[in-house]
Formats: sequence, structure tokens, C-alpha cells
Amino acid sequence: MSIKLEKVAQTFYENLEQGKILARKCPKCGAVEFPPVYACNTCGSLETEWIEISGKAKMHSIVLPAALSSKPEYKALGKYAYGEIELEEGARFNGVVRGINKKKRKEIMDAGKLPVSCHAAIFERAAGFKTVVFDLDEE
Amino acid sequence: MNQTKLNKYARSVSIIGVGCTPFMYTIEKEETSGLTEGEMFGYAALKAMEDAGVNPQDVDYYFHGEASPLNGSNYLTPNIQIGNWFGMKGKGSIHHSEACCTGYLAIEQAVNAVASGKYNCVLTGCVEFGDSVPMSTDEEDTVESPKHPYKRQKVTMDRFLKTTAWLYDRTYTRSMMAGQELIYDDAAEWYVRTNGITAEQMNDALNWMCINNMRNAAVTPLSLVNFMKDTDQPIPTYDERAEKMGMTLDEYMNSMYNPKMGDFLRAGGVELKCDGAAACIVCATEMIPQIAKNLKHKPIEVLGIGSAACEASTPHFEVQATIEAVRQVYELTGLSGDDLDLFYANDFIITSHLISAEIAGYLPKGEGWKYIVDGRTAWNGDKPINTNGGRTAFGHAHAASGLADVYECCKQIWGEAEGHQVPNLEGHKLPKTAMLRGYGGAQNVAAVVLQRKDD
Repeated sequence: MSIKLEKVAQTFYENLEQGKILARKCPKCGAVEFPPVYACNTCGSLETEWIEISGKAKMHSIVLPAALSSKPEYKALGKYAYGEIELEEGARFNGVVRGINKKKRKEIMDAGKLPVSCHAAIFERAAGFKTVVFDLDEE
Repeated sequence: MNQTKLNKYARSVSIIGVGCTPFMYTIEKEETSGLTEGEMFGYAALKAMEDAGVNPQDVDYYFHGEASPLNGSNYLTPNIQIGNWFGMKGKGSIHHSEACCTGYLAIEQAVNAVASGKYNCVLTGCVEFGDSVPMSTDEEDTVESPKHPYKRQKVTMDRFLKTTAWLYDRTYTRSMMAGQELIYDDAAEWYVRTNGITAEQMNDALNWMCINNMRNAAVTPLSLVNFMKDTDQPIPTYDERAEKMGMTLDEYMNSMYNPKMGDFLRAGGVELKCDGAAACIVCATEMIPQIAKNLKHKPIEVLGIGSAACEASTPHFEVQATIEAVRQVYELTGLSGDDLDLFYANDFIITSHLISAEIAGYLPKGEGWKYIVDGRTAWNGDKPINTNGGRTAFGHAHAASGLADVYECCKQIWGEAEGHQVPNLEGHKLPKTAMLRGYGGAQNVAAVVLQRKDD
């Protein structure tokens, strides 16, 4: 491999249009970067390479939207929460998980179910591009 | 997460003078409406020089911070436009912006420049108009419109919130909708979950941080609360508001008058954005006798500054970056939370105040919320935090807030904090060592450790 001036962002978004969710994997340590970037933030490798993720994930924290932390466009998400997501491939980042409201959060927290399973989905933003959100897994 | 090891500065560097404007809604008063960037920054700079006993010709270089110069001042190079106002025409300068963390990293930049040996004495200052923007002279009223030489207009909350989107990564974070929204409640969720306290206990802690900040600001002459005191829109303390409504303090803080704005956060826990400027004179400690012949105070040495930054898609970005910045500076200095006499946290979301004080070991882990609820972190308590009232009561002039905290911290360490001097408690000594935890810009974190040199 060699370091390339590569359109990573465009490739990521174009693949979402095709129904594929891509990440970048470090060839040296195996860590996965999501969303995809050039270098490895785990071992410092200068290069990473494309992989398609399975979509399986876990949600480690739950924050519900409120007046300050929501926008009219987000109504299209239905009921949802924000939180720390961990992909099956290992990457951790902040994301949106659909299918959680106040009652659902209470059930999850009271039962000590965190981290709770979820899976990736492709969601179309009002601005005309697609992005990645997650859906809570059915029990 | 990546870690950095700090090395000792090549030479000792100290703060020898500070200056600060009142934090204001400038357009609300005849005597302040129309103040310009040069006047605000210039005042703070000259007050810092006067405080240090130096003049502009003793100062080699200046650093200029402003969070949003294009929006707030219609400038691309704001440092260039104001040097003439404080006698430094022709001297070199640089502008920097780290949004709400600017004023803390203003110290970092100044100290690095002097410690390296390149300069002996520098000015570092910040200015921000958080409450207003330059008045447009056309009807379109956009960022690109021509502007009036000095008149300003109130910035609406809607317009302000649109510009805060600029803080977040456009490629992924804004698109994925989570990072920019988690700023309000992520730290509270983390604290509740990892310490096993209830949401109600967290609510109490959040309310008491607001109460303590407001009580502190009420006795701090330069606070926004004091600026607004004689206007028709005063900012009463929560004690005064509760009394007026015939409620207990607890009833008021949990009422419709302090509504929930986040999952945990209430309205009182959000910054009061405003206008202000602040500055410091930073000097090589060994050069003070030659440069500052009229020095009034003991120098306050900058022992070290930890720095970390986590972009907002990083889980628990504030917590993770604070842990790393604090780790760096303690490793460098050999200090711990037990050595701190004062603590400042940039608490534009008030939860910062609790979580950063615990991470720094200033308050015991998992127990800090009790100190807050018991009033022990107010200026007259035994563990004072944000003695000036912090961002929710002193005010938040974004870039300038960090240096306003440095101003307050130095005044406390010198025993010059008019009306609210720590220690208030018998048997306690004048504070000597302090940490300022800077935070902002989605998200930079700085852990600045200052200590008075007594010999």
C-alpha cells in the first residue's frame, strides 16, 4: 500500500446510496475506524483499508433528546436516543439509535441491560444525502 | 486513546499582570453601546500592562483570541485590526480560535512563546461579542453585508444556534446527528451511570451548581449579573427569584421557571452569552526584575498545561479529553488534586463543573455532587469552584471567558478579589495553587496549573 490522496468521504456516502456501510481497517493492528478516515488512531499506522461492516453493534449509553438537543427534521427518526455505539468490528463513536423512548430506556436501565444490541440502518436526511443510524434489536 | 508526555518548559514563565472588562450586554447601556473590538481588547490589554508595571514597548508580541471573528466582528484577521489601540503598532501578533477554549489556550500559546526563549514578555488577550453582531448597512443583513463602523445589533438565539453548527465536523458528525446534540447531557449521563447515583440526585447537583454560580457572581464586581443590576432587566440570584415567587429554593429550581432543556439539563445550567475582553502579561520569570521594574504582585508561575482534543463523534468527549489533559499536567508537575486550593471549569454546560473537578481530584470521585449540594464549592466554602460565577452567571464572552477566569484566579491568589476573597474560612491560607480546566470548540480541553512564587 501507499498513502493516497483519496476521496474517502465521497466513497463512504456513495456506498450508502448502494446500501453498503463501509469502514476502514488498519492492516497492522486490525483496529477499525468508523466513520472512515485515513490513518489508524489506535496504533498510528499511516494507512487503513476499506471493509464493509456487518451492521451489528451495541449501545453503551442512552441520552434522550430534549428541547436543546433535537431539531424539527429529527421527527422523521420516530422515537430515538443518542449514545455511545460500539460496532461488532470494534469502532466506538456517538450515534443515533431508533426505537428508544423514556419508557424503553427505563426498561433497559432497570433490567441492567446495557450495553444493549442494535444494528445499523441507512437513513435519508432532508438535505438529500444518506447517513447511518441504528435500530434497537428486537428482544 | 492517544497520550502525550509533557516535557518541562525550557525556562520558567509567570503571569505578572491581568486585565478584564466587565462581562456585559454592551448594547443594553448607553455608556457601553457602540464599544468596538479595539476598545474592548485595548482596555483589557492596557489594564494588564498597568497591573504588571510594564508599558507596550516592554511587550515583544501579542496573541489575539476570538472564537468567531467573521460572524462577531466581520474580520478575517482580527489581531491586525487592533494593535494600534494599545500602543503595539508594528509588533508581531497572531490570531487563534479554539471557540470556548480559546482563553485557556491563550495562556498555552503565550507560555510556549516565552519558555522557548524567543520572546521575554508577551501579551495574550481575547475579545468576544457574544450578544451582538456588527450592524449591517444594507437590508440583506448577512455576514457578507457591509457593516457600520461601530454600531452593533443583538444576535438572536436562532442566528446564534445556526453559527454553533460551525463547531462540528461537517463531513460526518453533523450528518450523523449525535455528536453535536450530546454536548448538553452526555457528561451527566456518564456521571449518573458510572457513579450509581439517581437522576434526582444529579438534578439536585445541577441545580446547586447554578445556585452557587449565581451567588458567586453576585459578589463579583465584573460579572454580567452586576452589569445588569441597574437595568430594567436585572439577573436576580435564585434565592431572590424564589423569594419573589413565594417558593422555597428547591421548589423554584424544579419549577416551570427553570425548565428542563435537556435530558438532565435545566435552563439555569446553560451559559449566559455576552460581550467581554480579558488579557494577561506573561513574562520569563528570570527577566521580571529587568522588564517589570514596577511589579506590584508576586509572579504566578505557569507550572504546566495539559492539552487534549476529542472531536464530537468521540464517545464521552469531554470526560475522555479531561482525563488525558489532567493526567499530562499531573505527570509533569508531580501534583495531585490535593495540592489545589482553587478550581475553575469552563461550565457553559454546567455539568462540566462537577465532572472536571472530580477528574482533577479536587473533589473525591463519586462524592463531588454532595459537596456541591452542601454549598461547599461556593466562593465561601472550603472547596471553592468558579469563584466568579462561571459561565452561567459571570457570563460567557466565548473566547474571553478563559482569560477572565485566569484574571479571577490571579486576583484570588494575590488576595485582591474584592468582595469575595478566598479564604472565607478561619484557619485557611490565601490560595496558592490552582487548576483551570478549559473546554470548548467541540472539543478542546486544557488543564492549566498556576502557582504563586513566594520566594
